[in-house]
Parts: sequence; C-alpha cells; structure tokens
Amino acid sequence: MTRRFGRRVVLEPTDLEIGAGEVVALGGPNGAGKSTLLAILAGALRPSGGTVAVASKLGWMPQRPALYGRLTPRENLELFARLAGVADVDAAVGRALAEVGLAVEDRRAAELSVGNQQRLNLAIGLLGEPSVLLLDEPTASLDARRRGALWELVARVRGAGGGVLFATHNLDEARRVADRLLVLEEGLLVFQGAPAAYVEEQAAPNAHEHKDTGL
Amino acid sequence: MRAIRLLLGKDVRLLRRSPALAAALIVYPLVVALLVGLVVRYAGERPRVALVAPAGLPSVIVVGKQTFDLQQLFAGAKEVKLVRMPAAQAEHQLSSGQVLAVLTVPKGFTSDLRGLKRSPKLILRTTRGGLSTRVVEKLRSFVYSTNLDLQKAYIQANLSAVDLLLHGGGGVIGRTRFDLLGVRRARAELAVLARSPDPATAARAKELGTFMGQLSGAVGQVGTFLRATANPIQLVHVQQSGRSWILSAQVQAYALALALAFVAVLLGAGAIVAEREENVLGRLVGGLAGFGRLVAEKIAFVTLIAAGLGLLLALAFGLIVELGHISGGQPWQRVPLLLAGLLLAAAAFGAFGVLVGALAREAGTATLFAFLVALPLTLVALVPHGTAPVVTWIGALFPFGHAVHAFTVALYDAHPARLFLRECAWLAALALAYGIAARAAARRLL
Repeated sequence: MTRRFGRRVVLEPTDLEIGAGEVVALGGPNGAGKSTLLAILAGALRPSGGTVAVASKLGWMPQRPALYGRLTPRENLELFARLAGVADVDAAVGRALAEVGLAVEDRRAAELSVGNQQRLNLAIGLLGEPSVLLLDEPTASLDARRRGALWELVARVRGAGGGVLFATHNLDEARRVADRLLVLEEGLLVFQGAPAAYVEEQAAPNAHEHKDTGL
Repeated sequence: MRAIRLLLGKDVRLLRRSPALAAALIVYPLVVALLVGLVVRYAGERPRVALVAPAGLPSVIVVGKQTFDLQQLFAGAKEVKLVRMPAAQAEHQLSSGQVLAVLTVPKGFTSDLRGLKRSPKLILRTTRGGLSTRVVEKLRSFVYSTNLDLQKAYIQANLSAVDLLLHGGGGVIGRTRFDLLGVRRARAELAVLARSPDPATAARAKELGTFMGQLSGAVGQVGTFLRATANPIQLVHVQQSGRSWILSAQVQAYALALALAFVAVLLGAGAIVAEREENVLGRLVGGLAGFGRLVAEKIAFVTLIAAGLGLLLALAFGLIVELGHISGGQPWQRVPLLLAGLLLAAAAFGAFGVLVGALAREAGTATLFAFLVALPLTLVALVPHGTAPVVTWIGALFPFGHAVHAFTVALYDAHPARLFLRECAWLAALALAYGIAARAAARRLL
C-alpha cells in the first residue's frame, strides 16, 4: 500500500503481513508514517494505492484518544458497541472495562486523567472482541503498572491466536514484547526483522550513518 | 439507518449537556431576527436624494382657494429623503455614492406651475448603478402624489368657476371685479319672460329656457367628468387595524428564515467539525459509519433542531397575535404546511453548514467561515429583485430567499400550493446538492 497527502508521499509502497499469533512492533521517528500506516490498516484512511486484506476482526487504538469527551466512559462504550453491531452490549462493555481495569464512573470522559482516557480509548478498541489489535503508541500515557497490564493483554491476544501491531519509540519494549520489528523512515520501510537483529545493526561500526529512527 | 439513529441520539444528548449552547441557539436568532426585521422594514424605504434649487425652493402658490407650500411639500416627501445642497456638493455626493440621485428644481418652476402654460419640469439625475431604478421609481411616486394633490386643487378651482357660471355671483379676474347672472338665475328670468303676453317673446323665452335647462344639467355634470378624466383609475386606500408591523407576514417569514439560516449553518458546520475535534472520525469511517451516513446524520440532526426552533418561533408569534387580539389572527391551519417548509429549509441550510464545516476542518475556522459565508448570502437575498440580476442569481443558490418565500406563501397566500411546491422543490434540490458536496468534502476532515 501507499499513501499520499496531495503531492506529499507519507507512505512509500509498503508490503507487510501480520500472521496469527504474531506481535509486531512498528518503529520510526515522528512523522515517519507509523500512525498513517495503522490508520490505513484500521480502515480510517484509504490507501492511495494498493489494498488491505483483513482476515479477522480489527481493534484500533489511535494515538490520541478517539472518544466523545462529553459522554461518560460507559456511554462511549455503549455507543461504539451499538455502532459495531455488538449483540450483547452490556456484556461487551463490562468485558472491555475489565480488560483495561477502568472503574465505571459518571464523570464525563473529558474529565478523566490522560492515562484513564487512554485506557478508555483502548477499551473502545477492544469492543467486539477483535482478534487483531492495532495500537498506536499504547503505553505513552500509562504508568508502569498499567503498561504491564497492557502487555499482559497483548500476550493474551497472541495466546488466543490473534495478531498485534503496535507503534512505539521504545526499543526495549519492542525487544521484550514483539516477535518482529518494522522501522519506517520518511514513509519508507527501512527495516523488517527480529528486534534483536535491529539492535545489532544499530550497534554495528557504520551505525552512525543511520538516520534517527526514533528508537 | 441504525448508525444514523445512534449518532443522532448521541448528538441530541451532547446538545442537552450544553445548556449555554442550547440557550444561545434560542436567544441569538430571536435577537438577530428582531434586528433584521427592523432593517427589512425600514432599509431602502427612503433613498437619500440631493435637492438642488439654484433659484431657491418654490414658494407658496395659491390654486383656487387652496394654498400650496411647495417647500413643505418637498420637505415632507415620504418616498425619498430630500437633502438640500448646492449643485457642486450634490455632484460630488452623487459621484461618491453618498446620495443616490440629484433632483434639480430649475429656474422658472414656480412661474410655470402658476401659469400652467406648460408643465413645470423637475430634473432627476442618477448614476448607472443598480439602485438608480429604485430611486427613479420612488421619485416617480413622489411626483405622482404631488401631481395628485395639485390636480385636486386645480379641479376644485375649475369647479368653483363652473359653480359661479351655474349659480351666478361675484368674481375677480386679475384686478377686475364682476358680477355674473348665472345659468339658473337666467333660466328663472326666462321662465318669467315665457309668460309674456307677446306670443313671439314668450315662445323665444321658452326656447331659451329649455336650452338653459339643458345647459344647467350639462354644467352640473362637469365636476364628475373632470374628476373622472383626471383619474381614469383611482386607488382607494382604506386603512384598517391590522397586524402591527412586527408581526406582519413579511417580518414573520424573515425572522423564521433568518433564525433557521444562522442556527442551521453554524450548527451544521460545528457538528461535523466536532467529530474531527473528538478524533472519532477514523473510528466511525473505519467500518462503523461511512462518510455518507455521517453527513446524512449531521443534516438530520440540524434539521431536527433548527426546524423545531423555527416551529417554536412560529408558535410564539402566533401566541402574541392571539393574545394581542390582532385582526386577522394567526393562520393556525397553515402550521403543518409551514412545518414542511421549515423542515426542508432547515435541511438545506444544514447541508450548507456541513459543507462549510467540512471545508473549514477546524472548529474556530468553521464558525468564522460559517458566519462570513452565511451573512452575505443572507443579505444577498434581501436585495430587491431587479436591482442586479447577478445578485439575484447568487441569492437563488442559497436557501434564504426560497425559505422566506416558502414561509410567506405557506402562512398567508390564499392559494399556496403551486408557489409553495416550487420553493420546496428549490430547497430540496439545494439540500441534496449541498449534501452531495459535503459528502465529497468530508474526506478532508481526516
């Protein structure tokens, strides 16, 4: 797939596949095209060229919380569950809240802390029990405990035969969690392989020739 | 439909949670509607026209027993606002647009008017601007009403002479006094002569008496003939206690259209941009609801709110009419027809607003853009027909003029069907066209 905004190419032709039971990290500096790639995979953006084939249900957690600030967390979850055509809305909402460990509050979503908004953002992505998760910098606003809980969730999805693609600036995170690492630079896929291989590549004597990859 | 219904419910809930916005939605259009009602009522009624009289303004003239103060006549012109100024200043103000025309009273005007050997002339100069036709119409109306007053006086003066001829009496021509026998007195005297013992004299007197009788009848009709030939068609103006101006059909229709225009355009622009501000567009178009359904939902939301507000306004007007015992009353039976017009107008304005929001992309820009676009397009529809055809066409492509017409027809036209359907067809077509354009532009929001 490829994506342009006007004449500007933000994603060069890129081929990738996420298999069942695979966790893939997506690295690269700011503006490399990570969020664009995830948005295309989530169906939020149309690729300017190429196709996206989705074999199973997708759950998307954008980088900036995508929710209605003047609705309560429960109202947000109920609305998105109904829009997604979930059969048992109450059960799905309960499950999603439990997955992210968010207490039911009557406060509006806009009044939640940034971290809790991010958890609600993830909970919305989990509605409908997706087997593939697309997470855009999911740990950015989370404390250490919540980060641990998130990776447990990722492990559960992998264990259930699902796939996860997450964008990150944290190489340690990628090394610990991901099976494979993709690195984008100015819309171009410059690395694809095991995170350890990337670490070795970065440590090589000619590493100074590399551009800043944000990792 | 399910997605539209769910998003509609969400938007209504969000609106309910913004009491300040809800209050502003009701109060703001009412205030603006009232102000524009005043403007509509009075704007352009009295174009400013320079009055140039090199020989001074005409003075008092006497026609028969009636006195005309021509200065007062000019000063009291209802049709235009005549502002006395020297010729050079008038020329300057005409070229700079400060006055729309220059009316010159040439030398000899008063003497021509007194002598009536030839018609006295007033000279009107306008620019080639679009408003010149309107000024000419206004001044024609002023000259017509002045002529009418003078005409009445001249007829009255002529009738006094006829009356003198008929009944006899004393009169003055120039400085000469005279005494006239009069047709009726002559006839009476001939009747006495007709009883003369001399048969020839009696017969002659009888013959003349018959002629005098015919003459008396004919002269008696002169007044009627004079009035009839002076005014082949007469307009009788009867003033009755009707609606006060604020509740007139025109102002009610303008107030409704204006309230709808601003509420729907701003709400439409704000509603679509809010989805972007909340960052939920990606989620929605990524399989939950497409751009088409999203745009349709926004138009439906705006239609619901704006038409509801319009209906409330109409009911408020009706209530005032009823409580004020204003003659004619509110045509309650036409409310369903009005509601149909309100729904279509709200949809057209809403679709336009959604398009504006999609083009502007950001909340602040969308609000400003909506104002900047809606205001001139609303005013364009207020420009009188025939002033500038291009402006009329631009106005036709915005729902305001059609909405005003539809509401006026729906409420007060005796046979509203044809005109109402025509305006509704315009509004529906505009709603569809703007909706399609908004759907195409909505991609810019991502």
